[in-house]
Amino acid sequence: MKRAIHTAAVVFLSLVVLCALFAPAVAPHSYDRQFRESPNAASSREFPMGTDDLGRDRLSRLVYATRVSILLAPAAALVSVLVALVMCALSGARSPVADAAIGGFTTLSLSLPWIFLFIILRALLPLNTRPGTSILLTFGLMGIAGWAWPARIFRATIRQMLESGWLLAARASGIPPARILLVHVWPHLRDIAIAQFRVLIPTYILSEASLGLLGLGVAEPLPSWGNLLTELQHPGRVQENPWLLAPLVLLMLVMIALETLQPVREVAS
Amino acid sequence: MRRLGQSGTRLLSSLIPLALIVLAGGFLAAALVRYSPGFDSIPEDLDPNISPATLRALHEKHNRENSLPRFYAHYLGRAAHGDLGISENLKTPVSELLRERAPVTAKLIAMGTAGGWILGGLLAWMAVWTRRTAIEAAAFSITGLLLAIPPAVLALAFFFYEAPLSFALSLALAPRVFGTMRAILGECYHSPALLAARSRGLPPASLAATYILRSAAPQLTALMGMTLVIAFGSAIPIETLCDVHGFGSLVMQAALARDMPLLCGMTLVITLFITLVHTAGDLAQR
Repeated sequence: MKRAIHTAAVVFLSLVVLCALFAPAVAPHSYDRQFRESPNAASSREFPMGTDDLGRDRLSRLVYATRVSILLAPAAALVSVLVALVMCALSGARSPVADAAIGGFTTLSLSLPWIFLFIILRALLPLNTRPGTSILLTFGLMGIAGWAWPARIFRATIRQMLESGWLLAARASGIPPARILLVHVWPHLRDIAIAQFRVLIPTYILSEASLGLLGLGVAEPLPSWGNLLTELQHPGRVQENPWLLAPLVLLMLVMIALETLQPVREVAS
Repeated sequence: MRRLGQSGTRLLSSLIPLALIVLAGGFLAAALVRYSPGFDSIPEDLDPNISPATLRALHEKHNRENSLPRFYAHYLGRAAHGDLGISENLKTPVSELLRERAPVTAKLIAMGTAGGWILGGLLAWMAVWTRRTAIEAAAFSITGLLLAIPPAVLALAFFFYEAPLSFALSLALAPRVFGTMRAILGECYHSPALLAARSRGLPPASLAATYILRSAAPQLTALMGMTLVIAFGSAIPIETLCDVHGFGSLVMQAALARDMPLLCGMTLVITLFITLVHTAGDLAQR
């Protein structure tokens, strides 16, 4: 049974990723093409999920939104893990002062809820950003703001390793710090880094959705799951057009599939 | 006496990093204010009668007087007296705004966290204690489903059906509580002490009070700290989308209006609150 669920999750996620990768081929129209003669159109053969206020095909926007949300969340997760690794390598290889400074910086980052930090950072940047820039800002800031959790785990592992006999022997035999990090420390950190990367992906997908709902995520006309969810703020419309729930349903299915493939709850706890 | 001294040293060793982190948080906020767009402009910029040389001299004076260390020292000095500045957007003292909004958010967080603990704890208890695969699978499915929904969407649903928003927060927190509680209860369940107690036929309430709560108190305190931090993060979108006049919606208002004195004050208060929560958790675990 478990194996069947696992296989179903893998197949589903593969299909979603393929759709995201080949969005221009899969989507019937471009995400920003306006059919001005049919705004707010109901479901039809031409527009299976209808059109939005500006006459844009909802299905096409959902396909492109999947591309933005599902491909950029792993990129942001990679940034977080890389920043955390670099910080921890610096703290491990340099003086105790650097270690204490990086430890303090990690604690400071963990002392602020990431969404609060993100809102402050976003407040400093221009609000009328271009769509492409907004994608980079959203996922880039997410990646940078989320480095502290993996860094805490890496730092604890590196500190444990620094006290071990085999690393002491390597240092005593005069191996340069860079080589120690790459040849001796990295193989021990690799699995933790991969686990952290996998755990951060669903977190960032959900985060983008929350930010999109607040209007701080990816800017129009580019679609993302977050900004498509803003249509849920009109309950009357949702009752009339149930397909407005499609982005939420897809988001939930992807999240459940990701949860099935990894111990999200154990890490969340 | 010696024990009292040890406790004092332990408390002091926890308070020093706490103070340093709060000061660093405040410095970060002050840096944000100091380097925010528009900070370098002065009212004389708009006066066409002032010569460029005078204007340059005035700018130099403004920059000298507002160098980051001096600015921060002044800010901290005022903050120590309860003066966190005046909100540029709302034209109200920041401390007054914080006093006004904090109880609304505190109530939401308190009720949401309590609900999350009850639901998550109950599901974890059922999953561990009944030892039935069907119940465990149901608990996993419920929490898995709740984890997949953004808290803001849950809040919107509750808002439209006029249900209390704290329930939405409870549903968002329950899966996180469930994960840790399940691990803690599972560990307790297999401990020899509890096995012996169960074999003597002690009632579940007595087992929970005597064996579980006492032995797992440090982990539960740490979990409480973590849930409070998550609850605060979730309260921001919930309050903003559902038009609740609390701390969360104030953060958004301040960010969108680039109200730096307000953001600065809130950063100090939030850093202090969360660091206190973490320190309490650390002290309980020692």
